Amino acid sequence: MNEILNVSNVSKHFGGLMAVDNVSFSIYEGETLGLMGPNGAGKTTLVNLVTGKYLADSGHIHFLGQDITRMAPYKRCKLGISRTYQIPRPFPELTALMSVVVSALYGKDRENQSLEDAATDATHYLEFCGLFSKRNVLCKDLTLYELRGLELARALATTPKLVFVDEVMAGLNPTEAGKAVNLLERAKEEFGVTILWIEHVMAALMKAAQRVVVLHYGKKIAEGLPQDIANDPVVIECYLGSCHV
Amino acid sequence: MELEVKREKLVLRLGKQKYEWHIEPRYWRNPLTYVGILVILPVLAYFFYPTILPTLIDANLLAAIAIPLGWMTLGTGRMNFGPQFYIGAGGYAAALCSIHLGWGPAITLIVAIAVGLFFGLLMSPLTIVAGGLYYTLLTLLFPLVFLEITFIYTDIFKGDVGLFGIAPMVNVGSFTVNQLLICFMALFIMLIYMFIVDKILRSKFATALAAINDDEEVAEAMGVNVRKMKIISFTIPAVMIAIIGWFYSHYYGTFSGITYLPLSFMLKILMVNMIGGRVQIYGNVVGGYFIAFLELILIQLLGDYSPVVFYIILLILLLTLPEGLFGLYRKRHYREYLPTLHVRR
Repeated sequence: MNEILNVSNVSKHFGGLMAVDNVSFSIYEGETLGLMGPNGAGKTTLVNLVTGKYLADSGHIHFLGQDITRMAPYKRCKLGISRTYQIPRPFPELTALMSVVVSALYGKDRENQSLEDAATDATHYLEFCGLFSKRNVLCKDLTLYELRGLELARALATTPKLVFVDEVMAGLNPTEAGKAVNLLERAKEEFGVTILWIEHVMAALMKAAQRVVVLHYGKKIAEGLPQDIANDPVVIECYLGSCHV
Repeated sequence: MELEVKREKLVLRLGKQKYEWHIEPRYWRNPLTYVGILVILPVLAYFFYPTILPTLIDANLLAAIAIPLGWMTLGTGRMNFGPQFYIGAGGYAAALCSIHLGWGPAITLIVAIAVGLFFGLLMSPLTIVAGGLYYTLLTLLFPLVFLEITFIYTDIFKGDVGLFGIAPMVNVGSFTVNQLLICFMALFIMLIYMFIVDKILRSKFATALAAINDDEEVAEAMGVNVRKMKIISFTIPAVMIAIIGWFYSHYYGTFSGITYLPLSFMLKILMVNMIGGRVQIYGNVVGGYFIAFLELILIQLLGDYSPVVFYIILLILLLTLPEGLFGLYRKRHYREYLPTLHVRR
């Protein structure tokens, strides 16, 4: 498998807090990489560093062999990096269709793409996420589950190579969470995307991810196959406390 | 040449060329109906009540300021409280060039555009570095600083007396005919602005502006070059507003910062924006006419008390219609936001 993303020795601190401390890992084309860690471990900060919201204090990030460490977020998106948010961040005043149209229009530089062409594309992604019937509903009127679907539709509409999925199951009931996992698997098959999946729900990640990276206090403490991670005493200590080791 | 009216379509065949225009079948939603009314109004005023011609000019100019301001608000995702700064910049540039260099309106228009562009570009980084209240306060400050400068450098700007002796916009010998012609020019500028901004708000460019207005961080993560969009959405409206300053300058033949730069004038523009509905360009036209005529009626009825009552009425309207007049329509058709596009299966 080809390496799609390489993060090497990346650090980020906010004042005295070391949010990400010298983290290195790689993602390979077509795989699902799980990113785990307790609250405040630095998972979302790491995603923000790769997607460009924050700039790394040190280290390098390479995407498809290109150094993107200091690149603007919109350029990273056009290269093929997209994301969803832990707490859905829809465009509240836009309809579901129009918010996906934004991604379809600007996610890639396409020549002669009209608004109508983008709407046709957006319709496809909305239908894929089961939101076609909600296309003319304002995003602020959608339910949490629908917003999760919309986030995915919006991310996929940029035609990414790598999608960061940030805690897709948070706030969903077991049925909805199951549907969300199936949707991600289908997205991977149908659109050929590579997924970096941040998740608290370990069971879901163990089932879906091929490899797992574990962060704790900004540091990478483990990386490997899901079953190895589940039995790793350091990981167990982080999650359950030292008395259980 | 062949002209054919098909269902909802007007087809013009000119040699081998074919042009099609879609006709809005519901006349009450057809903008051409309203443009027709706006064109007829000055003619009626000229024949029956010429004293309201200045009010019509004011109404058109207020709408012409509010329309680009709506675009600026949407595209930057921030509320600019100092659009009158650009009126001052364009107005003073035109006035100074006309008085000292003897230039006519055609040449001073280019100067006003250049000055608007310069200050627009100079201040556009504010949309990137300052957000929310800070941006609003900073934009509020600029016209007031400019006003102070006009008082400090009285030898250049002539303080509160203002510059006079500016070449008139038109002069055909009759005051009323001049007013009528100026009214049509103001209407023409307003309609041009409306056409440009309407085209922009219906284009794919507007989807990015709407996304920036809602959440610029997410918009950037979805591939929108937020900085570029903001700079464009700040600079071009600034130039459009500076042109109105040029218009005021040549229309009155005198230009004084104290008329346009204080908060009272800014409030009037914001009220036009608020009453019409934020980023509702047709609403801005309604708002412009509403404010201009409300002011006229109050001056005639209440005289010196009119400014107080004027702002009280506007305050009540803001409280009762937080989304403006367009908000009443939106309550019934909540999907009709800009930009809107519907697809069928």
